[in-house]
Amino acid sequence: MPLSRRDLHALTGVYALDALEDGAEYRRFTRHLRRCTSCAEEVRGFREVATALAFAASAEPPQELRERVMAAVGRTRQLPPEVTAQRRFRIWLPDIHLGAWLPRLATATACIAAAVVLGIALLSTRQQLNSVRAQSQQIAAVLAAPDVKTVTGPVTTGGEATVLLSAVKRELVVSTNGLAALPAGKAYELWLIGPSSAGKAAIRRAGLLPPAVAGLTAPVLASGLVAGDKLGVTVEPAGGSNQPTTTPILLLSLPAKV
Amino acid sequence: MSRMDDTDPDAPGLASVPSPEGDERDLSKLLRLVAVGDQRAFELVYQQLARPAYGVIRRVLRDPAQSEEVTQEVLLEVWRTATRFDPAAGSAATWVLTIAHRRAIDRVRSEAAAAGREQKTAWDGSDSGDEVADLVAAMLDRERVQGCVGQLTDVQRESITLAYYGGYTYRQVSALVGVTLAAIKSRIRDGLLRLRDCLEVS
Repeated sequence: MPLSRRDLHALTGVYALDALEDGAEYRRFTRHLRRCTSCAEEVRGFREVATALAFAASAEPPQELRERVMAAVGRTRQLPPEVTAQRRFRIWLPDIHLGAWLPRLATATACIAAAVVLGIALLSTRQQLNSVRAQSQQIAAVLAAPDVKTVTGPVTTGGEATVLLSAVKRELVVSTNGLAALPAGKAYELWLIGPSSAGKAAIRRAGLLPPAVAGLTAPVLASGLVAGDKLGVTVEPAGGSNQPTTTPILLLSLPAKV
Repeated sequence: MSRMDDTDPDAPGLASVPSPEGDERDLSKLLRLVAVGDQRAFELVYQQLARPAYGVIRRVLRDPAQSEEVTQEVLLEVWRTATRFDPAAGSAATWVLTIAHRRAIDRVRSEAAAAGREQKTAWDGSDSGDEVADLVAAMLDRERVQGCVGQLTDVQRESITLAYYGGYTYRQVSALVGVTLAAIKSRIRDGLLRLRDCLEVS
């Protein structure tokens, strides 16, 4: 008996509670879910309800369970992430679209990989592509550095910056998400701010952030990192300034031992 | 700008792995750390989710030893597949507890398939009376959910309880309660819509 569309829609509840048994109906519904965004949204909400029901049923597991699980964790290899560029691109865009689900801390690597893909996708001329490739290789080298570290910090005007850095290579890669859009003629500029000596901090230019696409900026590589550096971000005229001219909206300590 | 001080702690700790303690309650962040192999972060996830996971599995399976076994499998699956967690698809707690409920159901259904006719007699009602009512009562003790579940109609509450805590398929619920499949579908959906609004989940 074929199900009407309306019948299919009505299955969101039983599906979310795992009360739809495997079979033709289950397969039809899961196919339908892929096309029906309102159904998928409804299922998502119902699963959150089910989560509340699970919490309401909380019970204390035996203490040995914790020890057994932690012991098993120690000897269990994790699945690799799904890493094809295309897939990541697809996953991260809805993240950004949904605002509330913005990745807040680091899958910094993923964030930057997505940004690399974005950067490449946005550029058309061969020259630009070549320069991105060269930069991407340098970025990849930072990501692959054995001492790579991740730091994330909130930008005071909204959004956050993620920094991957290698002390050995003295390089860092900066990517952001969710930063406020700037008026024409303005850009976000990055600064490396060294420890102050004689009351004056040594401030070096570290590049301009490219315009954001879907809230993400393509990664910017900066070199010449020294111990005690902080990363600063200010809003400057589009071409950048020699020294910051506005109050920093981010001042992030970088791991001390560079 | 006072905010700058917040981001500028001169913390030597930054030189090491980012500490999960500061975000101890943020499961999404913890799972990201778990995804890169952080066992300490996994322990914090355990702290928050082992009880609801074990609780819901036990509601469905009843048997403590089996429940413990399935809970262990679920938590290990969370460890193994944290790399695949997609925050766009729902909250971290929901991801974990969906797996927990699903694995309990898998266990029920594979055993039901093996048990064959025994399971049929169980549906004839022996399992559906007071015991389920007791479970409902116990479940209702939890305050926040209690208020919301209390606002459901009796038939909505019954259907959702049998499906979620009882681990029955909606066909089985329909057989237990003695109403049509279409009616069960809409009771469950309408009930969940009400709970969703009441609990203010998105």
